[in-house]
Amino acid sequence: MTPKAALVAAFLFGFAAAPAAAQIPPGPTLQTASNGMQYHVAADPAQPSAAISLWYRAPGAGFETPALPGLSRVAALTVAASTPITGTSLTRLVQSVGGRIDVSAYADSVAVTIVVAPEHVDRVVRALTADYFAPVVDAAGFALARRDVAEDTVYRSYDAPDALEHALEGALFSSGPFHDGTLPDAKTMAALDVTRVQAYADRAFRPSNAVLILTGNVSPSVIEDAASRDGADPAPERPAQQVAVTPGSVIQHTANVEGTGLGWVGPSIQNEAETGALDFLSDALFAPKVGSVQRALGSLDVEVTGKFITYFDPGLFLVTISGKDAQAALPIVRRAIAQVATPMSPQVFASARIAFQYRVASDLQTPGELADTLGWYAVEGNFGSSPASTRYLQIESTLTPRFVASMGARYLTAAPAIVTLARARPQATGTP
Amino acid sequence: MIRAAAAALALATLVALTPPGAESATAVVDLGGSRAYVRPDPGLTLCGISLFVRAGLDRQTGDQNGLAALVAQSILQTPVDGMPLVDAVAARGGELAVHVSPQYVRFYLEAPGPALPALATLVAGALAAPSFDAALTAARTTLTAQIAADERDPRRVGMQMLLSARYIGGAGMPPRGTPSSLAGFNPADARAFYHQWYLRGDTFVTVVGQTGVASDAASRALVAAIPPGSSGPLPTLATRDFAPLPKRLVTRRDVYVPFVVLGFAAPSLGDTDFGAALVFRTMLSQVLERDSAATQPVLLRPGGTMYTYDTAPAFMSVWLNGGRLDPTEGLSAIDEVLKRAAAQPLQAAIVTRFKERARGEWALEALSLKARTWELGNALALGLDADISSQVDGAIARVTPADLQRVAKRYFQRFDVALVLPREGSGG
Repeated sequence: MTPKAALVAAFLFGFAAAPAAAQIPPGPTLQTASNGMQYHVAADPAQPSAAISLWYRAPGAGFETPALPGLSRVAALTVAASTPITGTSLTRLVQSVGGRIDVSAYADSVAVTIVVAPEHVDRVVRALTADYFAPVVDAAGFALARRDVAEDTVYRSYDAPDALEHALEGALFSSGPFHDGTLPDAKTMAALDVTRVQAYADRAFRPSNAVLILTGNVSPSVIEDAASRDGADPAPERPAQQVAVTPGSVIQHTANVEGTGLGWVGPSIQNEAETGALDFLSDALFAPKVGSVQRALGSLDVEVTGKFITYFDPGLFLVTISGKDAQAALPIVRRAIAQVATPMSPQVFASARIAFQYRVASDLQTPGELADTLGWYAVEGNFGSSPASTRYLQIESTLTPRFVASMGARYLTAAPAIVTLARARPQATGTP
Repeated sequence: MIRAAAAALALATLVALTPPGAESATAVVDLGGSRAYVRPDPGLTLCGISLFVRAGLDRQTGDQNGLAALVAQSILQTPVDGMPLVDAVAARGGELAVHVSPQYVRFYLEAPGPALPALATLVAGALAAPSFDAALTAARTTLTAQIAADERDPRRVGMQMLLSARYIGGAGMPPRGTPSSLAGFNPADARAFYHQWYLRGDTFVTVVGQTGVASDAASRALVAAIPPGSSGPLPTLATRDFAPLPKRLVTRRDVYVPFVVLGFAAPSLGDTDFGAALVFRTMLSQVLERDSAATQPVLLRPGGTMYTYDTAPAFMSVWLNGGRLDPTEGLSAIDEVLKRAAAQPLQAAIVTRFKERARGEWALEALSLKARTWELGNALALGLDADISSQVDGAIARVTPADLQRVAKRYFQRFDVALVLPREGSGG
């Protein structure tokens, strides 16, 4: 059945047929260099800048036990800040050419993204791959990285949606990278030492475990030097085992912010029609200002976020509610989620789809944004269906109200994991 | 005569900045009474259109603080199919935003190329006939919320205090007014401002992204919606001179730590000293940096700079975060740089290093479609060549130690200071 025929059939006969993803031509594929590094170049010469993004599948809390949340971020930052044989750290090199370097750590991956003027791409790609493919970890770089991660952790602890999402990931799993998380506490940071960081860097940052993405004003020939760097071990890391738990009672944490989070486990990134449906649903419900939940909240003083995160397996649907009127907002949000099993009217669905397609494109307009999206889908294992691909849009265009509703029913009408964050109450004083 | 001299100066500057034989990256489309300046980026599926209207802050009289923003926001809130225009555009797969600057108000429409004409028709309807009676209250509410958000950024609070001290008249007023000033306007005030200053002859359009027939049609629709007329050439903004001793402005806000903001006069985009000023900006930023393993988010930085070059004359501010460094030490470091740079030319090797960094930073100045249409339009709004931004890189490359010393002497020896302090009892 062609995608168009599937769409017509779904409307006419009222069944929630899965869109025919198999009928849609495959999306782009990653290239593989002789050293095992995978790569992709998405050149756009009209862009004023270029992005270089190096991704690794690597658990945020390390490969071994005990888990050390924050290890991947500390390791990636340490390598960037350490001084290799060239005498200039990657961070200093990027600063010296007016660029920006950022390290993002996720439960099961870590990325180094650099945005620079086009004329510096060649030099930066050489330095980036040289530094990470044979990682140097020195004491000065480690000290800087550890300090930066500690400060960033404090900063993020005041970001309610971020803190709630982190708590939800921990609540949904009994073990594995999601459970361990990426935010360290003081005890973990104290337990970190250079030896552990070096061991992590040696295992994680191998060429055969790397995905290099170049976007914006770049020349594809830039990749040649990186692709020729030696790689000893051809085997990339496998996705770590995640053990989901059945949500039970509300989990309460003391934090620097207050709020409530709701979380559900969703389909794997490989299941494109289902992840597409949940991407669409999260946008229709929670898009800032115009999502149906945001509209239902009216003038309440509250911040509500909702997103489906396309991890390797499983994906996660996370909702956060914070702000002065969070308590009043909670029943409104839950009511809206309870209604996802009812198909939208064709008009509402069509309008939501147009708005969704715009927001997908809008999130891909700078080289940095595009590199982040491509890198994420590459490292999570379905590069060909990233939102930057025609395939993603084609799959989205085959979704029907009934199919989306059936996915809502399957994944979001079950009892969610619920976490609440509350500020610590000051201890009473003056009593014995 | 003054205008003629200014035009001659701008032309001379342009000649100095434009490499001979350079091909323009910008196409010009005649919109009948106005122009669109178009820069294609076929790699994108979206297209951004900025409509510049000469109805910015400097059109406001002394008792019209915030009226420019209120009129523009009312257009966004004008009801369309039972919802505000801004939401109607979002529901149809686009984005509509507005930004008020010292001399212009800019309406920004972004959508996939083929969707632009229909969305532009919606926007044009509101531009041609804003519903001030229906939209003013919602516009005021939106602006009040935005003002509250601005107030939470001590850097912006300090910079606005300094801009108000520097620029005479409406150009120095806060972009969104104040909650109390907004409360004083009624639909008749908004209507009068709109009819006086929304004139087709004072508009132009910039377009970046997936451009073509659709974006041309959308541009035409937007411009045609503005009532005919023109108010004449762009006047020069009047400024107050800096005194030999810094003016000290103090405010208390809901912030956790004190912020210090210094404000300097700075060369404008078309000035021959602009490239040197960008190198100077890099020097000042670097003085306030500390070693880190990656580029730090603004909130974690000890200090930084903000260069406001959407005006001529322009303005540069340097801010220090009292929670990240001792303000006294930061001010001493800045003072030393200013004095040394003015006293003698810096070593050529040091200047080369700063130039390389400044060139790279300039390339990252405008990345999003919205920013790219702004960058293009900003040059045009200042009466400069559309492609001047791409020529700035060369201008930075040509900066000499003597240029830096001259700029340090001319612009960076006098300044004002704003202190943004925590309220009494709010911690610090």
